[in-house]
Amino acid sequence: MKKPLRLLSWAVFLVLAALPLLAGWGYAGAYSLGMTGLLHKGVTLAHWQAVWSDAAFWKSMGFSVYVALTAISLATFFALLSVVAWQRDFRRGWLSYAVYLPLTVPAMVVGFFTFNLLSKGGLLSRISYRLGFTDSLVAFPDWVNDPFGIGIIVAHTWMAVPFFMLLFYNLFQSEGLVSLGQVARSLGAGSGQVVRKVFVPVLLRKASPILVLYGLFVMGSYEIPLLLGTQSPQMISVLAIRKLQRFNLMDVPQAYAVSVFFVVLVVGVLVLVSGRGKRWRLKSKDGVLNQKMAS
Amino acid sequence: MRRRILQGIWGLIWVLPFLLLLVLSIGRQWPFPALLPRQWSLAYWADVFARGGNLNESLLFSLVLSLSIAAIATGLGYVTSRQIAYHPKKERWLLLAYFPYAMAPVILAACLQHYFLVLGWSGKWSGVWLAQLCITYPFAVIFFSGFWNQRMQSMEHLVTTLGGTYWQAFRKVLLPMSSSALLVCFFQTFLISWFEYGLTSLIGVGKVQTLPVKVFQYVQEANIFLAALAGCLLFLPPLILWWMNKRWLFRQG
Repeated sequence: MKKPLRLLSWAVFLVLAALPLLAGWGYAGAYSLGMTGLLHKGVTLAHWQAVWSDAAFWKSMGFSVYVALTAISLATFFALLSVVAWQRDFRRGWLSYAVYLPLTVPAMVVGFFTFNLLSKGGLLSRISYRLGFTDSLVAFPDWVNDPFGIGIIVAHTWMAVPFFMLLFYNLFQSEGLVSLGQVARSLGAGSGQVVRKVFVPVLLRKASPILVLYGLFVMGSYEIPLLLGTQSPQMISVLAIRKLQRFNLMDVPQAYAVSVFFVVLVVGVLVLVSGRGKRWRLKSKDGVLNQKMAS
Repeated sequence: MRRRILQGIWGLIWVLPFLLLLVLSIGRQWPFPALLPRQWSLAYWADVFARGGNLNESLLFSLVLSLSIAAIATGLGYVTSRQIAYHPKKERWLLLAYFPYAMAPVILAACLQHYFLVLGWSGKWSGVWLAQLCITYPFAVIFFSGFWNQRMQSMEHLVTTLGGTYWQAFRKVLLPMSSSALLVCFFQTFLISWFEYGLTSLIGVGKVQTLPVKVFQYVQEANIFLAALAGCLLFLPPLILWWMNKRWLFRQG
């Protein structure tokens, strides 16, 4: 590649990928430390202290982690179950088409649909009334805008299951798990043992970086908790944006402090994941080397 | 038999949103405990294609926005990712491209909002376009970083060894070999832009009304029928793209 084009490539990458991140983080960090903004009076940790001592912030963090862990665990369970049980059907037949369908629906629409399905006036409430399980609209349980985030978890699980199915199915093929299963069976393992001791550990280990990234994506999700969440507790993105859009200007530095905290958390997890990914790759290379040396 | 029933339940869970949204988009009045709307009308759908309709402007602008962003992000990502992919510290550079997704685009938008306000891009289509490019371009870089591998480098070397220029290698070898990848990346970046709500609403401050912004607006107004129609308009293009992908692209491959 010619030098001007090479330089131009780096310039485009730096301007469109690196600069927005650094400029955004820089401004948010400076605002949260009182170095800029409408009410700034010099460097202060007061806004950070206000966030640290705010119970709503910790509740929000805990709630985001709880929603992400629950949704990812449920989606992983259903996707693993489906792929292990029906992996032949993923190759051909209607399942190989249908699995892509939910990927065409944006989060905003998933939130809207979940509301119309699970709310007191929603489709399930109407079916339950018709079947005689409930005798009025209010008798139906609170499954959206509820303190346990049931609606948010259902919506995220619905979105994640097909994605995880495709991920696990591709790993199933690339890791040669069919052959591994046959080897295990020929050595006397039962079907349950093959699933528990071969398929599930290999799939989970290989998919774990993506599962962690997806967990971060759920933690930072905005549209679904905006439609299906409550005022308290709120998911972290909703908390940050609501603080940013309040009329009280004293909330703005706190909104930036929350954003910076979330960014630092994400950076930490990403670095950890990429480091572990490297170690895993090295380990597997060592494993191959050891096998070669042994043979 | 049990397998069929379970797969049927899965299928129903996946198809139900599409059916419910389609039914609501042609319905009027849905009082409790009716399972289906009391009245049916295609008036809202007809309005989409009528001049000055509620949604046709949003639909058109959203299409132009997402198609142009997909084209630019794919093109830029394809050319520039080559440098990053062959860099000895490739993984560190790629980590930068992952951040907008892992940290949530809406948080990125909150951090960038000030600059857009100062530069006068807030509340404008151009501002939203640029902001969306800042999240779609890194995706394109990640997408193509796997494409530029040892094999591609060997191909380039082969062409130059045989007397070809870099431009000839690019035009006659690399570009034809990457047509499928370019198309898939175009689809993906189109979808990222098409689905984006948080960043668009924050940078667009409610003035830039893309389809996801419209859906939220109708939900807030408790107009579930128009929200359902906007929802249908949002998932129809990706459905068509998915069908094209399955029918045409994968068959070609």
